[in-house]
Amino acid sequence: MSAATHAPVAPGGGEAAAEARVDNVMVVGVGGQGVIMAAAIIADAALRAGRDVKLIETRGMSQRGGSVNSHIRIGTRVLAPAISPGEVHYLLAFEAAEGLRRAPSLAPEGVAIVNTQYIVPPLAASAEHSYPFDAVARMAAQGHAVIAVDGNAVAEQIGDQKVAGVVLVGALAARLPFADEVWRAAIAANVPAGWLEPNLAAFSAGKKVAAGPVYGADEEGAS
Amino acid sequence: MSQMSSATIKQTPPDRRHGVLMLGNEAIARGAWESGVKIAAAYPGTPSTEIVTSLARYEGVYAEWSANEKVAYEVAFGAAMGGVRALTAMKSAGASVAADPLITSVYSGVCAGLVVVVAGDPGMSSGMTEQDDRYLGRMAGMPMLEPADSQECRDYVVLAFELSESYDIPVMVRLSTQTAHQKSVLTLGEPVAVARREPGRHPEKYCMLPKFSRPMHRYLLERTERLRAYAEASDLARVEPGYGPHARLGVVSSGAAYMSAKEALPGASFLKLGMIYPLPVEAIRRFAAGVDRLFVVEELEPYLEEQIRAAGIAAEGKQWMPAWGELTPERVGRGFFAAGLELPRWSEEKAAEDDSVMPRPPVLCAGCPHRGMATAMKKLDLDVHGDIGCYDLTSLPPVSHMHSAFEMGASIPIEQGFWRTGGAPKGSIAVIGDSTFVHSGLTGLLNAVHQGADITVLIQNNDTTAMTGGQTHLGTPKTHAGAPSAPVDLEGLVRALGVRSIQVVDPYDYEACLDALRAAQAFAGPAVIITNRPCMLFPRKIVGDGAYQIDEELCNACQQCMKLGCPSLSHTAATMKSRHKVTIDAATCAGCSLCAQLCKPEAIALVEAGVPGAAR
Repeated sequence: MSAATHAPVAPGGGEAAAEARVDNVMVVGVGGQGVIMAAAIIADAALRAGRDVKLIETRGMSQRGGSVNSHIRIGTRVLAPAISPGEVHYLLAFEAAEGLRRAPSLAPEGVAIVNTQYIVPPLAASAEHSYPFDAVARMAAQGHAVIAVDGNAVAEQIGDQKVAGVVLVGALAARLPFADEVWRAAIAANVPAGWLEPNLAAFSAGKKVAAGPVYGADEEGAS
Repeated sequence: MSQMSSATIKQTPPDRRHGVLMLGNEAIARGAWESGVKIAAAYPGTPSTEIVTSLARYEGVYAEWSANEKVAYEVAFGAAMGGVRALTAMKSAGASVAADPLITSVYSGVCAGLVVVVAGDPGMSSGMTEQDDRYLGRMAGMPMLEPADSQECRDYVVLAFELSESYDIPVMVRLSTQTAHQKSVLTLGEPVAVARREPGRHPEKYCMLPKFSRPMHRYLLERTERLRAYAEASDLARVEPGYGPHARLGVVSSGAAYMSAKEALPGASFLKLGMIYPLPVEAIRRFAAGVDRLFVVEELEPYLEEQIRAAGIAAEGKQWMPAWGELTPERVGRGFFAAGLELPRWSEEKAAEDDSVMPRPPVLCAGCPHRGMATAMKKLDLDVHGDIGCYDLTSLPPVSHMHSAFEMGASIPIEQGFWRTGGAPKGSIAVIGDSTFVHSGLTGLLNAVHQGADITVLIQNNDTTAMTGGQTHLGTPKTHAGAPSAPVDLEGLVRALGVRSIQVVDPYDYEACLDALRAAQAFAGPAVIITNRPCMLFPRKIVGDGAYQIDEELCNACQQCMKLGCPSLSHTAATMKSRHKVTIDAATCAGCSLCAQLCKPEAIALVEAGVPGAAR
């Protein structure tokens, strides 16, 4: 995994140097896709792994089918909850166009994990706007390391589209240094009762999928 | 009446081995519960809603969704007057609604502790303005604490109850969206048992007649001076020495802005303020004397900066940092960079988003009962004066047909004034939801009736408070606590207010919507239309297990259905006359049938689950 190198490190190190080591995960998607639950699992896993964590997300009106995003920051000590532009280390996109929208937020060494699901909003029907079906290719062409995951297809095989979000969490987990027990406990604590088994299956499947090809210029993204 | 408090802030460092992750709002609730709060009242409003939702889950707490913020404030204040610790919470706009009792209760003081949580919304994640509530607290003379993360949300609420009782005054805990809606690590405390205080009878304290309230104002000024002394001596004003090349730069900050400033300029010396009214001016003066340059970093207005400068302390702030929007580390960092500091991390402006990607604004849900009337009002080209609710989304594409939307209850009086001017060429209408109507629409309608206004009012009744996530209100058959209540009979209520034309309409019947609107517009005198379908917040099928589907052969790509702005409708690759044909996502279609009603070539029909083309 790539460690953050952005915050200035104070001379003498100590507390200030520790503050500088923060990993930034941004989860983006469309209201109703389960972004909030996925973010809760990731933050919970970080806490269970003994890290400090802060999370902030869109709430309220944007949940009505609008763009949503969650910022999760993980480190020894995290200050502000919001990730600054150009400092996202892991962009977890539940929807391809939303991934493309947030691609400029990626750090140079950042990795995008993009669900190849295309949710075309009513507005894309108008003359001025069109839906970017080439979102993944465009992100790679911009020089970002991109892992494309068909989370919905994987979820369908497991038996329910509803677990697609946890497939993507699994894909992210392949790149974070938290033990599987930690992730499983975090999933158990955050998914609805009766949904643990399919979600654990989704998590394992997602971890395997993430070992697939990485598009884009940055070799560091490959696991 | 009271003596100097020994209340101190117990700064609990986050213990990640025993900590829990909580929303700032949940941590507020936790702190209140630990403090022995028994009564909480609020009206839902982003970003404050989760405080009372969360508090209601604790054993032994009575929590209600009140009619509006003023009523909620008075309920909580009445409880504090009765000797039981109480809390009320509101968004900025709600603080304006509650301003009357808020200001008066600061004069009288309390018996048991009263904590008032006001959650501002810099960046307007859902608010109508970015009003800076710190000025309201200062105007009222209400002491204000401002936490910076979930731990402080919990700690400051615990302290606020102690201060409220020690100084005989309601205490405000001021949040902003970044604090209220962040999840961060929190070490929990244990609940304390707090016995009811003897309320007694104190007309000289609680009867706000001039005879009594004149001395109470002087009493307020005296309490304020004692609170100022407390703020000066308290460790709520915390000095954090800097290091490295920026150590001689000083930053005064509080709340969410403090976290952003600390991240943007970690080596600076900080004076972190926990209490923002009364302000510990002498502590700030001492801090300023030890630094070369003093920056004040705060969200929105230069509230701190003005008071610091008025005390004769040189300070910089708003000339470098914006007085609008959330203050993120990047925006603060860019401000420091503009002020001439050498900061490579913030030396260039970076884009957060690719603006060339089509926008994705929120839309009305599939099957939303607001859609039928919105489409009908657009068809009749009425001027639409909206209120506060999901129906405001019809001001955005693709519906784009709403002409004003201000604050809770505004629609009806605005329509009345607008009608007085001669109205609009095709007519006009006030649109308000059921929860907003019982919040503050009633008096406006009564006013319109009394004044003889010839207006049309549409009550988009969906049996819930939808936009904030589906809370109960006075019109729902249950209270927040789950107790059955007599739901308001909207039709009977409107009749009792003196309205003579009342139509109850199924909003899934498009022709019925048009007919009702035309009849109401033609009626001489105030006319009210009430819709009768529940909210789709928890999606369900309206027609069995089926969904509407489009026969692509019959679809002539006329785009009538696309004007509904339904998220279940999208284009296919097939075209006719260079326009795309339409398809319906069966998984999300709720079966409201509006698209089928609008489809001239009758290409859309109900398909039962597993039986293609079974029903028509």
